[in-house]
Amino acid sequence: MTRSLNELRPVYVVGIGWHRYQNPSETPYVELGLTAIRAALADARVEWPVVESTYVATALLGMASGRPMLRHLGATGAPLMHVENASASGSTAFRHACIEVASGISDVALAVGVDKRNPVRRPDTCLGNLAEDAIVPFTHFALLTNEYAVHNNASTEDIARVAVKNHRNGAKNPNAQRQQERTLDEVLGGKRVSGSLTSLQCTPIGEGAAAVIVASEDGIRRLGIDAGRAIRTTASVGRSERVYPPGAGFDAALTKETADLALAQAKLTPKDLDIIELHDAFTVEELHYIESIGLCPEGHGVRMLKDGALDIGGQCAINPSGGLIAMGHPIGPTGIGQIGEIVMQLRGEAGPRQHRGARIGLAHMVGVGAVCYVHILQR
Amino acid sequence: MQPGELLKPGLYSAAPNDRAGATVRLKGGRCRCGYFFFPMQTYGCERCGSHGDALTPCELSADGTLLAEATVHLHADKNRPTPFTIVKVALDDGPVIRTLLAEDSAPVAPGRRVTGRLAPVGQSESGETVLDLRFSIAS
Repeated sequence: MTRSLNELRPVYVVGIGWHRYQNPSETPYVELGLTAIRAALADARVEWPVVESTYVATALLGMASGRPMLRHLGATGAPLMHVENASASGSTAFRHACIEVASGISDVALAVGVDKRNPVRRPDTCLGNLAEDAIVPFTHFALLTNEYAVHNNASTEDIARVAVKNHRNGAKNPNAQRQQERTLDEVLGGKRVSGSLTSLQCTPIGEGAAAVIVASEDGIRRLGIDAGRAIRTTASVGRSERVYPPGAGFDAALTKETADLALAQAKLTPKDLDIIELHDAFTVEELHYIESIGLCPEGHGVRMLKDGALDIGGQCAINPSGGLIAMGHPIGPTGIGQIGEIVMQLRGEAGPRQHRGARIGLAHMVGVGAVCYVHILQR
Repeated sequence: MQPGELLKPGLYSAAPNDRAGATVRLKGGRCRCGYFFFPMQTYGCERCGSHGDALTPCELSADGTLLAEATVHLHADKNRPTPFTIVKVALDDGPVIRTLLAEDSAPVAPGRRVTGRLAPVGQSESGETVLDLRFSIAS
């Protein structure tokens, strides 16, 4: 008999912290990561030695990057492990930190994501390919943009509006890599990248760090943590790509099955969601994924976007952090930063980005492979 | 023009005297479960997990229907000067592949019939024309 996360001990996010996502700089990764961890410890009002286990999400730093960073917090001897799962590395680290606490093995665990922009080395399966060297991620999503536009009669301008909204949100986020509002003309007039995608519709890969501390009810009581600021993780689901029927793209199908399982685990429907942080590395993804999650029928995303239903203060705020397009996507930290944003919103501590009355948030990431992770948090 | 040297002979073949490269066939595979895949491999079937002699080589037609296209304007690799166009094609024999559109192809759009041919892409060290697979609007 297997059990899902919310059938185990309740697990809560009790501390969140970032080092701002930024353009590549001389700042060592150690400093990026320590800044985020110390911010999360301060937010939870606990000291480092109470952390019983650490999950380090990183894709680009190289082997065993965690200990040379964590030792500067005082070497406690607590276990640590590294999680690499492409763009979903941070989400995966968060899931396993939650599982460790929910299972009763630990009362307090840390998930920290840290990365610098380094060359990506892909594995060699020794199977030939026709032209994969010519198809980088933005071209995968340029192809998807073309398919979405034709199937749903959506214009280039319609899809680019996702970037206008997310740059507007990012402009209010001190942890965002891009903090500037952009008009539709600016978005459309930027450098052409691939297909109809322009540079302001693509995530700027940069560097940064994000950390969250999770704790059990025992841990919260024992350490005197403010239970009023603790946000419960009510669902955690990870999936990987299957073989889908001919003609069905994996992007939407994988997100749909993962989100469906997470909503069922939390006993919620898409209409219950106040906030979604999702993988908008490229504009078209946001429309694809809100439809896959079930916020609206396929092809209706553009209408919701134009009606303001996806804005902060709308029916469901999508990417109030600015998303990958504006907040940024340093890879390892990204999925953990999403959790931090949702926690901030559900606590009512998001300041000028606050989505009023937010009680339920969903975090979604996909990673090359493909993998998909969905978490639900509730006040 | 002789057929010349194939850039990726492990992935496709053509009849020796085919000057236009129109007889190109893709070297795919078929599993005992009925699943067609490209390229041929013996690691195991993605649908059912069977391996070994459950997987047999199977020539696939290079005819198909265009699912999507994207013209790339920015590419880090200097060996692939931009612009070039990537097409996503649902082959009539099943697999979906992604590769390059022929430079002399008429513009394509989702739903159009397309076909793969061999096109000259350079010269080998021995002076032979090197051919690679490119898609274009089906004639």
